[in-house]
Amino acid sequence: MANCSICGRQAIYVAKSGGLALCKKHFLEYFDRKVRKTIRKNKLFNKNDHIVVAVSGGKDSLSLLHYLVNLSKRARMGWRITALTIDEGVSGYRNYTVKRVKELSSTLGVELKIASFKDYFGYTLDEVVKIGKERGLPYLPCTYCGVFRRYLLNKVAREIDGMVLATAHHLDDVVQTYLMNIFSNNWSSIHKLTPSLTSVHKLFVRRAKPFYELLEKETTLYAILNGLYPSERVECPYAPLSFRWQVRKVLNYLEELRPGLKYSTMRSLMEATSLKNTALGEAMTCRVCGEPSSREICKACQLKAELGLLELRR
Amino acid sequence: MVEEAGGIRVKVREFGGGIREVSLRRGVSVGELVKSLGYIIEEYVVAVGETVVTEDYLLNDGDEVVLYPVVSGG
Ligand SMILES: [Zn+2]
Ligand SMILES: [Zn+2]
Repeated sequence: MANCSICGRQAIYVAKSGGLALCKKHFLEYFDRKVRKTIRKNKLFNKNDHIVVAVSGGKDSLSLLHYLVNLSKRARMGWRITALTIDEGVSGYRNYTVKRVKELSSTLGVELKIASFKDYFGYTLDEVVKIGKERGLPYLPCTYCGVFRRYLLNKVAREIDGMVLATAHHLDDVVQTYLMNIFSNNWSSIHKLTPSLTSVHKLFVRRAKPFYELLEKETTLYAILNGLYPSERVECPYAPLSFRWQVRKVLNYLEELRPGLKYSTMRSLMEATSLKNTALGEAMTCRVCGEPSSREICKACQLKAELGLLELRR
Repeated sequence: MVEEAGGIRVKVREFGGGIREVSLRRGVSVGELVKSLGYIIEEYVVAVGETVVTEDYLLNDGDEVVLYPVVSGG
């Protein structure tokens, strides 16, 4: 049985980078050190920022909300923190996760804003998926969800006066996205996979990924140790159908064969992005809705047009 | 892993799932157990009772093993 490399107590985690075995206390210190380093190195937050935390209700985003609220108190950062939850309208799934977000934000004493697809777009994700099917479009629930969710996160974070939008993306997420973009030869997306993202567009809310250097196993462990791991297992019914799900499985399989592979893939990404901390996000303005966009018509409006929910005039 | 003289029995609970009993030989580690169930250790945090353990933890007769999936949708 491994003992903590620092104090000799029973270890609960072995960090493959450096081969450190850590007890509960020293794991939480290691976790905190890593996140603070990411925040400092990439200048993710300033004193007195209004940070909007995107919280889905999954273990990672609950952990991020919990961590940032505690850090703000400990480090006297004077942050105002608001939790922002997007209710996509997936029956049998969102109801549970929204409940978890409500509980945690009230325990932590932070404001919570819930914005739904139904209110902003007129349709739930389930309805959008159904419309897509009826129109004979390719079955891509996670694409619809991802595009509309990112769109709303930016818009609503801005509407509630957020200065920065923090998301719980961890190293596993980033590495998966990197590989998926390599497969589709999408280098403009790869260049945006930095710990922070900004834009000259005044409607774009700066993004920050404080968990950028943490493995998903580490955020999971943080959630378990802090009682944030969901008591019932509720999964998005669409998730296991996504390409990301397959990539994640393959990566975990490869990591087992070659420990350290995720870290080295991350270093490859750093080279590809020329070790930049911050990349530039959407700088154009969608001519349909006026939101920041990387092209003439934003992805959300394009998808809406394909679904017949919006007519594009030339 | 077959039951043999001096073997042990542990309960395995998948978080949010059912409980099953598994017979193992003595000296089996948590990592080996997870593998024998067909899982990848990368995808689970493992606890024995209330305590999270590392994969080299050697199982004892009567241990209750809890598997927390790292991979979850959403
Ligand atoms: Zn220790
Ligand atoms: Zn648009």
